[in-house]
Amino acid sequence: MSATTLRAHPLGDSAVTITFGAERSAELLERIHATAQSLEAARIPHVDDVVPAYLALTVFYDSLHASYAEMAAQLLGACERAAGRSGEASSPREHLIQVRYDGPDLDAVAAATGFSVSEVVERHSAREYRVDLLGFVPGFAYLSELDPALQLPRRPEPRPRVPAGSVAIAAAQTAVYPLDTPGGWHLIGRTETVMFDPARDPAALLRAGDTVRFEPLR
Amino acid sequence: MITVNRAPPYLTVQDSGRKNARASGVPQGGAIDSFALGAANALAGNSGDAAGLEWALGDGSIRFERDAIFALAGAKAQAVLSGKVVAPCTTIYAQSGDELVIEQISGGRFVYLAVGGGIDVPVVLGSRSTYLPGRFGGYQGRTLKRGDSLGLGPPPTRTPAAGCHCAADLLPRYEMGIVHVTRGTHADLFDDDTWRTFTNSEYRVAAASDRTGYRLEGPALKNPVGTLPSEASCPGSIQVPGDGLPIALMADAPTVGGYPKIAVVAEADLPILAQRSPGATIRFELITIEQSQRALRRRASDLHTISQLAIRSYR
Repeated sequence: MSATTLRAHPLGDSAVTITFGAERSAELLERIHATAQSLEAARIPHVDDVVPAYLALTVFYDSLHASYAEMAAQLLGACERAAGRSGEASSPREHLIQVRYDGPDLDAVAAATGFSVSEVVERHSAREYRVDLLGFVPGFAYLSELDPALQLPRRPEPRPRVPAGSVAIAAAQTAVYPLDTPGGWHLIGRTETVMFDPARDPAALLRAGDTVRFEPLR
Repeated sequence: MITVNRAPPYLTVQDSGRKNARASGVPQGGAIDSFALGAANALAGNSGDAAGLEWALGDGSIRFERDAIFALAGAKAQAVLSGKVVAPCTTIYAQSGDELVIEQISGGRFVYLAVGGGIDVPVVLGSRSTYLPGRFGGYQGRTLKRGDSLGLGPPPTRTPAAGCHCAADLLPRYEMGIVHVTRGTHADLFDDDTWRTFTNSEYRVAAASDRTGYRLEGPALKNPVGTLPSEASCPGSIQVPGDGLPIALMADAPTVGGYPKIAVVAEADLPILAQRSPGATIRFELITIEQSQRALRRRASDLHTISQLAIRSYR
């Protein structure tokens, strides 16, 4: 995909969303992650935050000191320069998260997928996942790509409270709940790893573009 | 120090919010009517980033445990300091032991109390704001209860004179039901009829409206796509879910979302929307990003005028 497909649009007064393409793909996501990292490294004046997502990244800026037109032009240029250097993208940070596979939905997931519990555990822990993006709640990282044989729709009734540390799956993704929150994913295990700690910098353990493996604790 | 004598149903510590943690999924947060907190801070002799109290839903009282300068702004409230009526948007001096009672909130939704020196709670991720869903920031990550005592920062060395007051023409026109918006990142997905419906209709703030988002009731908008791959949102984003009833995201909204965004509320008008109570109506008027940013700069310049007014009254 050529860099000329980049499109800037204001997201309100203090953010620019730059769209990279119309179709989700692993390549597009990788390019967006790499560009987001290079924008952060560039420390562009008046930029507060860079938030990468599936088709676009969004840059939040201090709109009292920079106009949309200035910011959009500057960011489009920076994104295109980043594309030219895409070969130099730093290798992803890797995380290993230990999981006790004893979640309340583990048996139901096994029944629904036709596997034994140990096969579910094996399939879930066999893959390396990529952090697509963070959101929903602080520190919640959407991880792809779940084994197609484990993919189930979300639970019809979300739970009002999912405990922090719950390891969960839904559709093509898996995640660890970083905080006690409501949630509709299938809970298959739990981890002691602290995914989000507001006293830490950065507060979230995972960053978009990182890779994650799960290791079963026995 | 100040102590909560009688807690209203909702009372939290808020400041100007978190501007550098969105990539970790941390919402911007901060005062939902940031202008009102800014005005109260200026009149209490504070800098704009000091933390104050955001107060809603009912009456309550605060006791001053030291002599302090304070100001109220935001929603209209009947307030009394040890028997004397407290005027809004005015510098007031309280003595140690004085009790500030907010008896009733009559117009609007959120009242702000700024106290000289600012509310001194730990800075978490660059802000003192309470983020209730994550139970962090502010005072132990929660709403304040009876008996909670809050420390204050060092009192300002020079303070505005008692009675220093900011005229209504420097405040957002809260009584106006017009909220300006710019085109959202998915504006083009909505057809002309839908846009006409959006900008020609009256929408009512629904009961299910809080710091995360204000649900709006009125003519449904045709959502042509259902959901989209998630991307960043911001406070003021107006998203259109499957049922077509728009939701305006507010200070504590998640950082990303998958519903198409038809429009984004001009930051200058976000305080006006924030102060609409459930049942109140609004209309949306489309402006360009240039107009919207100009309006925001005017708002910042009004806030600056208020702080200059306070500085000129220094005693």
